[in-house]
Amino acid sequence: MEVRASGLSDVGLQREGNEDAFAVQSSLGLYIVADGMGGHLAGEVASRVAVEIITKGFERWMETDTPEDELFGYPDASLSKVGNYLLSSIRLANRVIYEMATEYEQYNGMGTTIVALLVKPGLIVAANVGDSRMYMVRDGRIERMSKDHTIVSEHIEMGVMTEEEAVRSPLRHILTRNLGSAEHVDAEVFEIVPSGRDRFILCTDGLTDLANDKEILKVAQKEHDPELLCRSLIDLALERGGHDNTTVVSVFLEDERHRPSEGILARLGGMLADILAILGRIGKKVRL
Amino acid sequence: MAKLILTFNKQVIREYPFDKDGITVGRNEDNAIVIDNLAVSGFHARIDRAGSEYILTDLQSTNGTFVNDQKVASHKLSHGDNIVIGKHVLLFLASDSDRVQGGKEETKLPLDRTVVLDTVKQRELLSKQKVVPQAPRAPEKIGVLSFIDGSGLGDLGLSKKLTKLGKAETSEIRLTGLLMAPTAATISRRPSGYAISFTGGMTKLKVNGKVVKESVQLKDFDTIELGSHKFQFYQKEVKN
Repeated sequence: MEVRASGLSDVGLQREGNEDAFAVQSSLGLYIVADGMGGHLAGEVASRVAVEIITKGFERWMETDTPEDELFGYPDASLSKVGNYLLSSIRLANRVIYEMATEYEQYNGMGTTIVALLVKPGLIVAANVGDSRMYMVRDGRIERMSKDHTIVSEHIEMGVMTEEEAVRSPLRHILTRNLGSAEHVDAEVFEIVPSGRDRFILCTDGLTDLANDKEILKVAQKEHDPELLCRSLIDLALERGGHDNTTVVSVFLEDERHRPSEGILARLGGMLADILAILGRIGKKVRL
Repeated sequence: MAKLILTFNKQVIREYPFDKDGITVGRNEDNAIVIDNLAVSGFHARIDRAGSEYILTDLQSTNGTFVNDQKVASHKLSHGDNIVIGKHVLLFLASDSDRVQGGKEETKLPLDRTVVLDTVKQRELLSKQKVVPQAPRAPEKIGVLSFIDGSGLGDLGLSKKLTKLGKAETSEIRLTGLLMAPTAATISRRPSGYAISFTGGMTKLKVNGKVVKESVQLKDFDTIELGSHKFQFYQKEVKN
């Protein structure tokens, strides 16, 4: 499987410093975006620490093939082993930031969101805490691979608010979870299988505050290079005001083998499969 | 329009727009905002609108009404005030125009930047009360595949985020069949719910009779066929 990836971050047009951080580690198959918060640019510290710890923690556990019960915190039984590596590295990052924020006055109240993508042969893991997002573009459709941890998204889930209302709500930036505010954190983790031609976009709310899912899909379908895609999305955010730091990481996957297309063997196989299925349904105990 | 946001233990329960000139809060059903909690009096407090000002009045409640940690009998509300009634918190948000007239430079919540709700202070306040009601939370559901093809596989819970179906020994759900691929299909639990994807091989994947070449979201009682196997998908509640 061929992987091409790129990342780009912009301070935007209104902020003094850039508190976003990102990492593109294709050797590990790990891609991370973080949006930091806190007074006096402590946000910059939080986001960088998060990216660093997650990368180092994950790398260490991969290298030593650590058993799942020796990670950080109880493993999640619904995840694969590497999924648990990623989850534990996020928990570890949370703990470090939390301790720093409690211990040092200049770091009081600091925190960060996180969204991380892991690409392995035959497996893709997506994880997030906070309102930074991951999108998957597959078969001409765009799908979210992250769950926003905000008050308004809880509202939407409860049916009290619509997406359109949420975009205009004064509460839209209030998080219900992040790294650093609590000793323990519950990250969202999703696992899927690559389809042969997937594109992933990780981004901070500097982009999603100014562009909706459909618009992001349009840009993703136009660009055939991850670097150009990052550039186009950031330009879009800047065109619309650039009121916040904006960071985009994009990862393009391409499977040379692809799925068996409509070759003659596949078609014959398909017919044979139909016949067997019919035989099976006729109720004979045709156990092959 | 001004708004009141009712929260409990960091969970937002409901938003109430201020579309009348007076709103009462209490346990009694006749209130505009009903809080069903033993720490709340039948008619606990009222908020009245006078021009662009909003006045909160305690109605001689048993446990009192607090605004930002201070017990009040009567109080002129400012944007971002936390009104504590029993163990619930009502966040008062003035309307855009009111805020300008109010003349207050900083709002209590820096709403244009990302913040995390700070409930440590609220918890301190609230722990002084004795009653502990449940926070409303939607029950968690887990997907189940119910095999209806006589294969004897029965009902299989989808406990993993990613479930592989196929002939391979490493498959979470092992399916037999001459043409069954090592991994014929996968079911993944995504933010939007469960979805089934065709991974490859010579067996066909059908959902409700239609062939699926890529992937499709699953709804309760969808019927899935994979090769000679047939099963139904549904979700059941999990007790925590």
